[in-house]
Amino acid sequence: MSSARAAIAEGWPLLLTSAVIGVTYGLVARQSGLTVVEASATSVIIFAGAAQFAAVDLLRGGAGVPVVALTVLLINARHLLMATALRPFLRDASLARRLGLAYILTDEAFAMGIGHFRRGHRDLTYYSVFGASLWLCWNGATILGAAFGAGIGDPQRFGIDFAITASFVAIVAIGVRHPADATVAIAAAIAAGALRLLGASAIAVVAAGAIAPLLAFAFREREP
Amino acid sequence: MIFWPAVIASGVLTYLTRSLPLAVTLPGAAPRKLRRYLDALPIAIIAALAGAGVAVPNGTPTGGAEVFGALAAAALGVWRRNLLFAVLGGVAVVAVLRAAGLRS
Repeated sequence: MSSARAAIAEGWPLLLTSAVIGVTYGLVARQSGLTVVEASATSVIIFAGAAQFAAVDLLRGGAGVPVVALTVLLINARHLLMATALRPFLRDASLARRLGLAYILTDEAFAMGIGHFRRGHRDLTYYSVFGASLWLCWNGATILGAAFGAGIGDPQRFGIDFAITASFVAIVAIGVRHPADATVAIAAAIAAGALRLLGASAIAVVAAGAIAPLLAFAFREREP
Repeated sequence: MIFWPAVIASGVLTYLTRSLPLAVTLPGAAPRKLRRYLDALPIAIIAALAGAGVAVPNGTPTGGAEVFGALAAAALGVWRRNLLFAVLGGVAVVAVLRAAGLRS
């Protein structure tokens, strides 16, 4: 199977879930007072789910530009880590291509791309196709939700909303190859879960993701 | 109206978080310790995303269904090495447990 087809064949639950959440986002944005064009513009310009929900909520509450921008920055700081981790795989791509691929970097595209690279592949097609498909799903769904969203039912029914988290779990489970990987993964998952339960949602992933890799130093270095 | 300045500032900052590490090239090879850290980074970030999503699935703390769903997805992933199979299994477990009353 080609990388492009594999990206869709393996990634469709994530794409479907993103579309469902995108419709919900469009609906919430409209209910918060944005027009369809404004709702769609947030999805094109920011293109980051959790940060968009937070931004819309802050705007509705009357927050100023610095508060909105800094909250979005904090929530999206995890992209710095993801882009850093992607660097080695994009080493041979031109600067223009790297800048283009950066725009479609999301949690989902990162996780799927890394899963592909860890299976030994080195082509960028899988990441590109999945990332672009996710962009289309998210932006199409935002418009749908903003224009017609009032008729949708409860996305929590059937557990569809869990598909994104389930994908992250499965990518980690399949990608772990050494005791050091497993230790780092379990520590990161527990730390991020605890931080979010304690109310530190904005920094949970970036803090846990940045600190947990230090545990790898407790293990003997593997021969490369 | 602060809408457009807020959205454009948010968009620019978000794009910088995505692009800066990919745009900047550093001279020379990375130190060995940094390389080990970066090797462990991808799994840590994806696991952190997973942990956060399990603990607080939809804005409220988990009622337990997501914990079992995650364990099922992890077990199926290790067993069959098939992403789709593991995801659908995890979603099915969550759907059944939520229907049985384990809602957050």
